[in-house]
Amino acid sequence: MAKLILLWLKCVVLWATVEAVFEDQVGKFDWRQQYVGKVRFSHFDTHVQSSKKVLVATERNVFAALNTRTGELFWRHVDKTGSEGNIDALLQHGQDAVLVVGNGRLLRSWEINVGGLNWEVVLDSGSFQSACLVGQQDMVKHVAVLKKTAISVHYLSNGHQKWIENLPETETVDYQAVYSDGNGEVYVLGVVPHSHITIVVYSMEDGEIIKQVNMSVEAPWLSNIQASCVVVGQGMLTCVDSAGVSFYMLDLHLQLQMTQVPLQSLALEVDPGFHPVLLSHQPNLARQPLSEFFLQLGPDHYQLLQLNNGQIAAMRDFKPVTVWLLKHLLTSRAVEENLRKFNSVFQLYVQAFLKKDDSVGYRAMVQTEDHTLTFIQQPGRVMWTREEALSDVVTMEMVDLPLTGTQAELEGEFGKKADGLMSMVMKRLSSQLILLQAWIGHLWKLFYDARKPRSQVKNDVTIENLSRDEFNLQKMMVMVTASGKLFGIDSKTGGILWRHYLDNVPPNAAFKLMVQRTTAHFPHPPQCTLLIKDKDTGLATLHVFNPIFGKKSHVTPPALPQPILQSLMLPLMDQDYAKVLLLVDDQYKVSAFPSTKNVLQQLQEMAASIFFYLVDSSQGRLSGFRLRTDLSTEQIWEVIIPPEVQKIVSVKGKRPNEHVHSQGRVMGDRSVLYKYLNPNLLAVVTESTDLHQERSFIGILLIDGVTGRIIHEAVQRKARGPVHVVHSENWVVYEYWSTKSRRNEFSVIELYEGMELYNSTVFSSLDRPHAPQVLQQSYIFPSSISTMEATLTEKGITSRHLLIGLPSGGILSLPKMFLDPRRPEIVSEQSREENLIPYAPELLIRTEWFINYNQTVSRVRGIYTAPSGLESTCLVVAYGLDIYQTRVYPSKQFDVLKDDYDYMLISSVLFALFFATMISKRLAEVKLLNRAWR
Amino acid sequence: MSLYEVPSSLSLTTALFTVITLQLIFLQAALVVAWCFTDIETGPGAGVSTQPNGDRFKIEGRAIVPGIKTQDWVSTARVLVEGEEYVGFLRTDGSFAVNDVPSGSYVVEVVTPTYRFEPVRVDITTKGKMRARLVNYIKTSEVIRQPYPLQIRASGPHSYFMKRETWGWTDFLMNPMVMMMVLPLLIIVLLPKVVNTNDPEMRKEMEQSMNMLNPNPELPDVSELMTKLFSGSKGSSKAGSSSKGTRPAAKRR
Repeated sequence: MAKLILLWLKCVVLWATVEAVFEDQVGKFDWRQQYVGKVRFSHFDTHVQSSKKVLVATERNVFAALNTRTGELFWRHVDKTGSEGNIDALLQHGQDAVLVVGNGRLLRSWEINVGGLNWEVVLDSGSFQSACLVGQQDMVKHVAVLKKTAISVHYLSNGHQKWIENLPETETVDYQAVYSDGNGEVYVLGVVPHSHITIVVYSMEDGEIIKQVNMSVEAPWLSNIQASCVVVGQGMLTCVDSAGVSFYMLDLHLQLQMTQVPLQSLALEVDPGFHPVLLSHQPNLARQPLSEFFLQLGPDHYQLLQLNNGQIAAMRDFKPVTVWLLKHLLTSRAVEENLRKFNSVFQLYVQAFLKKDDSVGYRAMVQTEDHTLTFIQQPGRVMWTREEALSDVVTMEMVDLPLTGTQAELEGEFGKKADGLMSMVMKRLSSQLILLQAWIGHLWKLFYDARKPRSQVKNDVTIENLSRDEFNLQKMMVMVTASGKLFGIDSKTGGILWRHYLDNVPPNAAFKLMVQRTTAHFPHPPQCTLLIKDKDTGLATLHVFNPIFGKKSHVTPPALPQPILQSLMLPLMDQDYAKVLLLVDDQYKVSAFPSTKNVLQQLQEMAASIFFYLVDSSQGRLSGFRLRTDLSTEQIWEVIIPPEVQKIVSVKGKRPNEHVHSQGRVMGDRSVLYKYLNPNLLAVVTESTDLHQERSFIGILLIDGVTGRIIHEAVQRKARGPVHVVHSENWVVYEYWSTKSRRNEFSVIELYEGMELYNSTVFSSLDRPHAPQVLQQSYIFPSSISTMEATLTEKGITSRHLLIGLPSGGILSLPKMFLDPRRPEIVSEQSREENLIPYAPELLIRTEWFINYNQTVSRVRGIYTAPSGLESTCLVVAYGLDIYQTRVYPSKQFDVLKDDYDYMLISSVLFALFFATMISKRLAEVKLLNRAWR
Repeated sequence: MSLYEVPSSLSLTTALFTVITLQLIFLQAALVVAWCFTDIETGPGAGVSTQPNGDRFKIEGRAIVPGIKTQDWVSTARVLVEGEEYVGFLRTDGSFAVNDVPSGSYVVEVVTPTYRFEPVRVDITTKGKMRARLVNYIKTSEVIRQPYPLQIRASGPHSYFMKRETWGWTDFLMNPMVMMMVLPLLIIVLLPKVVNTNDPEMRKEMEQSMNMLNPNPELPDVSELMTKLFSGSKGSSKAGSSSKGTRPAAKRR
């Protein structure tokens, strides 16, 4: 029996090689962009003169090396998300980079040339404070890590711990910084807030306390050493108080008394309300820091100071820094324009180096508020920019590109009403002429380009020459990022065509992007609306823009004084073809956008058939509302799921632009099983609050969103989330973790009306007396998953695939055929007729099904699918840390010639046949003639 | 409508409650039994893995790609424990250690975009004893021991691509359709050369055999029928004669 099953599986697998990438298709219609996230720490790799690396450690727990020439990644290491992978510190020495990860839990050393790990050690628990490299006799051999209660020193070569010492008096003293300048001593600086500074000096050799100073150094103004103090010159601890009145200096070696130097004596003044910051530099870690240091006086104001024999002298004023940068570092016009776009410089990493002619050159990596990384080299050249905001895409839409003038003309012919035979013929002819003209122009361009060397031929896509292609395969990807920056990306090349930074976005905002008007309504521009909602207050704002050009629309969105609970796009359109957006506030009042008279009138007429639902997951309440003609609402149903037992995790409806081609499935005996296609169906997923592995469960409820009728409910015991759900057509697929068997499982629910359709013309939730038949089946999946989505095509004729993002970075295209509750356990004649695959408990992951081959996508957060103009083709964008765009053909390319269509063979066969007939005709003639002569 | 619907939702929630309470009672009983077996049979149960702030352990091993230098692939590799729950990185010599893993049972995978590694299930007891075994998702309690510290050897590069169907002469010739066309052609061309058709005796013999093949001589030939239909009565005699063959005509000359 097992053999039989295996055989069947093999057959199935061979037969079902539905989709895969061919090797020659690599990069043909797909692209990937890799990102690292917002930079937290950065180091230029300077240990080799010719090194082209800059190391970055980011807020998204990524450690990477970037190429300074191109901005591409040499290598990248993606750690766990959350606080456990959080990078606390980055230290670099030679070809080793030392990272402190997870609030001081792990100490890692990376080899930066190869990108491999040198070593990793677990540190004792305790919250991380500071770390530094410790040098001795001009050699850096150790790294010191300061925790809340202890200090440990590790060898740089293998990570082994040299010594660990508990810090004295940790109940009162808050140790914050560690410092070493290569004289065999490690200084630990602590503070008793608003009282005094404590300094403990350890011997490098054995961790013995050499000296301990407390009580004597009064510093009532100090609370945070790292924020306000630096060590300058020959071990002089220099601090500035938060009020910005004075400098305080303390010699770490003598530790007598803090000397106070008022800022006014140096003629310095801090911007009002600004907390001054000191910056110093220690070029060689085994030596003392430089005696020159910076004092930041304002957001854009720096002062260079020098410490000389215990005296501070002002050297130079840089105000504003960006202007200084413009003047000295970046002299070209292009950079200036680029910098002007910077909203404000967030972080700046400058590397000075000696050029071949002994002059000083600069390189600078600038990170701005909108998470753009710009790399600038001295003569004012922008080497590269990276839009790191794209590492955190929240939501996206694909918008059709506008038609060109000629295309619009051609389309117009079909739209207009027929007015007489003659004029129709004339129109037809003229449009053909236009086409001919365009074709000749195209040929001419080809010919013209062919004469030029290949390098000069540019096919750059710019906003000006954007137009829809024949099959609508090229679209505009509108991406919304968590930082509030919007991007318009050409889906064919991945080039960023426009970017727009919204600077007043709250940090915990939720976004919802909606297309109100597509490009189909020429002269009216397309229009997208972004709903930005503050998760805490619920207050929302609307940003209305043109998705093709990224420009803010002149349409003024309504002010929303009340928190918004729900937003819904109606299929109604106003006289300008903009779809109506309904916003429901916390008083259950409804406002419409646009809210012209025309719209309100339409709403009044339609009100009886507009229903919506609200979800309150904290109280476990699902409720349905109906719109009244006066735009007030009325609650018509409510389902309460007790929040102390289970919580609502997700509620998924169907995608509004989904088409279902066939209403039923033809069975083996030629009868039809009709699908239950309820457009108002919601799939509600709940998880138990009890997480114990024996008692945890997940539940799935199918609710009609209009009537609140529960169509079906299922409970999966001994299972827990995260649950991923896809809801489409007449099926719901969900994935969960089975705690009993410790594996991931897929389950599919399909709904059928039965052998007869109740009302085949129109579906109404209010008039469906029969409950649907529910079929369910579950499978084992040999990997956990990150996200899941179903393919979508223009008319829904093409079979569906599930696109599954895996933690390994692959995107698996799993035919829905494998997730079919009608898969039989015993093969019968009828099931074979129906092309049903016999049931096998385990779903296979075949690497041929990875649509992104080796172009892995890290931390896939979402997969967006959009139909193209070709029924066979579905456009796919996977986003997470990386962005990957491709096309998939779930039922192969049945509507266009395939890539490997053999034109040579066909034409050679044709020619051969043609010549064969010619020759044989001639031969036959000769033969006939000969016969006649006989 | 609402009056009708609310009771159904209520019934659902009560149903859920009963399910849960039943489950609780049943599971408490089952748990006791399960506890006894887990440590002996399959190593620690997953129940242990959820225990809070217990000891943390380290999963160690080495990944090997035969014939490839480690520095060529380690920078793209990661060690994933149970999805992305715990992440480890590879050292420059191909060895790895995943720190801070509580006791439990985990699937450990080495992932790279280029090479394929088989996953391994690692069981860690509460005391920190380690065991590695083959992953079997269907029979989860089956134990086929693997070496620990893990030795994971790549089973080759990933095959992401399909082979294009290449076109060759042999494929073309071996095509059944082509075979079906070529063989009759050969017969038509060669047979007249082998058999002397001008011999009247032979011809008679052949006609006889043809009649034998055609079981019902009265049944009209389709082509004949068509020609009759299109060419009318005048052409019928001609068509009839032509269909009989060109050989009589040839003889007349």
